[in-house]
Amino acid sequence: MEATTTHMPLGGALDVLNRRRKDQVVVSTMTTIAPWRERDVTERDLRCVGFMGGASTFGLGVALARPDVPVWVLDGDGSLAMQLGSLLTIADAAPRRFLHVVFHNGVYDTSGSQPVLSEGRMSFTGLAEGAGYAKAVRFEDVESFDAAFDELLEVDGPVLVELMTEPVRRDYQKPPVPTEQTAARSRRTGRPCVTRWRRPPRASRRRAPPAGSPCAA
Amino acid sequence: MAEATKQAQPIPAEMLYDALKAAGVTDVVAVPDTHVRSLIALMRSRDDMRFIQAATEDEAITLAAGLIVGGRTPLVQIQHAGLYACVNHLRGVAIEGQFPMLFMIGLLNRDPDRAPRDHFDSMVRHAEPLLDVFDVPHYLLDGPDDVGMIEVAMREAQERRGPVAVLIGEQTS
Repeated sequence: MEATTTHMPLGGALDVLNRRRKDQVVVSTMTTIAPWRERDVTERDLRCVGFMGGASTFGLGVALARPDVPVWVLDGDGSLAMQLGSLLTIADAAPRRFLHVVFHNGVYDTSGSQPVLSEGRMSFTGLAEGAGYAKAVRFEDVESFDAAFDELLEVDGPVLVELMTEPVRRDYQKPPVPTEQTAARSRRTGRPCVTRWRRPPRASRRRAPPAGSPCAA
Repeated sequence: MAEATKQAQPIPAEMLYDALKAAGVTDVVAVPDTHVRSLIALMRSRDDMRFIQAATEDEAITLAAGLIVGGRTPLVQIQHAGLYACVNHLRGVAIEGQFPMLFMIGLLNRDPDRAPRDHFDSMVRHAEPLLDVFDVPHYLLDGPDDVGMIEVAMREAQERRGPVAVLIGEQTS
């Protein structure tokens, strides 16, 4: 299956979503946070960091509290893998205006591109269908996603869209180890301390999380 | 932080239900629990508080946080084993996110003659100390006389903008 799968750029997929963005609450997490913030951020953008896998049920809570407001969750494959049971929780609650977008790039981008388990054999679409989502669709290119998206928004949810995307952080550098450890290692090996972590571009850090967001701290 | 001074008594589910309603709970996000199964059965049969079942305690916490963002007042109902399972979400969502979140935690298999901290079973014994580690206020409900603490706990959660727990000491009737 993997040999025939193609992957779309993350930015192109986000542009499709951003062009249709109106009054939806958008919950983003991990890899998608920075590039999504470079688009049209509103007070209805909520970001989840520090509890991987929680974005989808956080969005579910908003959707159940405010059934009049559509909710989009921009989830990751590694994140969802940490809370696969959330597919059952969401399917059981059956929020009607709930779009669960899973960016499936096959790796844990932010932790150094380790592979997601069972990559190439596993399908989030299959898992969502099995869990009881109203609809689940996979796309491998921006054009087909763009062409089908308006129709998907008309479907009573929950709907899961699995987007096969390219990894975005192949040049990721690990965060610095604590100073004491770095110094001890340097003394032990005789090599200089060289760990430096490049912060993301300033444009991607321009807004603080909104009040009430679990990411505010 | 009440300690057991007398034998714990079962609390009728109906009494707990009424106390939760009086405290303003609008939604109950629950993971199945033997200890309060009579309460769960009652909540599932009524529609004046919405009952939402979650697959895991992690999900229950994030779901409740989303409900709060949307203006609701949820209860997170879990068991002591579930508390141990969801420590990072308790920290990262409920505490760091400053969500006024009321937890109801069932102390399954607790000996009604012993204070939970003195219990032979580590599952029971570590629940209160774990909450202390994270500075989560908690109240032990050891019988019908303690049910009024639910409203106190809810008020405290809202005032401190963080989690507060009530512990159910004996299986509900």
